Amino acid sequence: MDNLCELQEVFHEVFDDDTIVLKGATTAAEVGGWDSLTHINLIVAIEKRFKIKFATAEIARLKNDDQNVGTLLGLISLKLAR
Amino acid sequence: MTVGSLEFLGLLLLASALFSLVPTLPLRRAFLAACSAGFLWTLIPNLASWVALAIFILSGYAVAQLLRKWPSAVLLWAYLVILLAAFLAIKKYSFLAYIFPVVLSIPVSIVGLSYMLFRQIHVLVDSMQGETEHLTFWGYCNYQLNLFTLTAGPIQRFQDFQQSWTQLTPIPAGSYELSKTWLRILIGVIKIAAIGAGFLFAYTKSYSRLIEIGSGHPTLAVVLPWFIALFYLYPLYIYANFSGYCDIVIGGAALLGISLPENFVKPYLSRNVIDFWTRFHRTLGFWIRDYLFTPLYKAVAERNPATAKSFAFGCYFIAFVLAGVWHGSTSNFAVYGLIHGFGASATKLWETYLVRTRGRPYLKEYLQIRWIKAVAIAATLHFYAFSILFFPGPLDKCLAPIRILVRTLKP
Repeated sequence: MDNLCELQEVFHEVFDDDTIVLKGATTAAEVGGWDSLTHINLIVAIEKRFKIKFATAEIARLKNDDQNVGTLLGLISLKLAR
Repeated sequence: MTVGSLEFLGLLLLASALFSLVPTLPLRRAFLAACSAGFLWTLIPNLASWVALAIFILSGYAVAQLLRKWPSAVLLWAYLVILLAAFLAIKKYSFLAYIFPVVLSIPVSIVGLSYMLFRQIHVLVDSMQGETEHLTFWGYCNYQLNLFTLTAGPIQRFQDFQQSWTQLTPIPAGSYELSKTWLRILIGVIKIAAIGAGFLFAYTKSYSRLIEIGSGHPTLAVVLPWFIALFYLYPLYIYANFSGYCDIVIGGAALLGISLPENFVKPYLSRNVIDFWTRFHRTLGFWIRDYLFTPLYKAVAERNPATAKSFAFGCYFIAFVLAGVWHGSTSNFAVYGLIHGFGASATKLWETYLVRTRGRPYLKEYLQIRWIKAVAIAATLHFYAFSILFFPGPLDKCLAPIRILVRTLKP
């Protein structure tokens, strides 16, 4: 299973919504309920699934308007490669 | 010297003209550092304050470098405890009078210390997590003591400062952009000196009149107009004054090559308290979110994901009370923070209720309904106006108008 599929599974669990289909360009505004609180739940679930750790500044940056699922995937890949 | 004063604006005009003539990056950095040092010189009152400031900056930089090399939560927390104790003592928090009264007589006063503290904590945490590349002493001092962010917001992140610091060329490109920047500075001056000052004058008069009336036995009809006046005037003053200040520093910093984040985005059109803190003094709101709320809630969610959402309300209260206390040394600021913690929790509770009873798709529809949006904006504005009643001074002073109003309501 590639990272995108695994990430999609995490989204289904956190948002309790199996209809979510992730693409690189998907933004927080396009996923119902992706607010500050769910963002942290999502980060915790991703950390657990991929066995990685995000820095405070990274978590904050991922909330910026110019960020999307693609940048999140990029960051995950980068951390997995380390 | 204060931002917005004639001497500040005159010197800014001169500095920006000279800055564009400085040929190399090291010289431009030295030029900006000299401007910041000159500004700082006008604000630090005595030798003891200079020494305290030096220890504050030096220790922060040294610990940040240690944390970069040897990340250690124990070291971070040990330093944070000392840092916060020093902060409370220097800011002379009123509760210290009961525990360490001697602290209140220390002749140290550092303008902008609250903002320095937040920048320092951010650099320390980010350093420990490997998020501060190119942290040099020269860069760090200029980041902490930059004249445009020294006394108040916006709270710039080190990484953003570093981006400007590596180039340091005037941001407005061409005469049109330059005119726009100066126009923004001018608008900032008008907001502070004319509009804000006008609102403050009217507020002060209304407050004095209400207290005067309240000393007798007034009726509700007599008290209400004065109460309404001060209820709306103070939020108007705060917005005009602080957003005007930010217009000046953001414009001024751009002239000297520093890009500062925006701090106000139509805050009085926020639809709830959480939204409000992403629009009003938003760099503070984001700081609270990133360095108080997120670590607190994340720690809970990691341990117990199933029940984490219930603990979120507690995290809101803790984060907002701490942020409230950060605003000033008297108890009224804790009340201000508590009210906002309540507002944020109520927002989340209402949203959770809607999702549970009607489903998430309905929430999306609900947020689009125009009249609900209008009601939510009006409610948030009035909630903020109520909370800011606890801002202007010690608790007794803040409570006086409310007491007078409540007295008239009694039969």
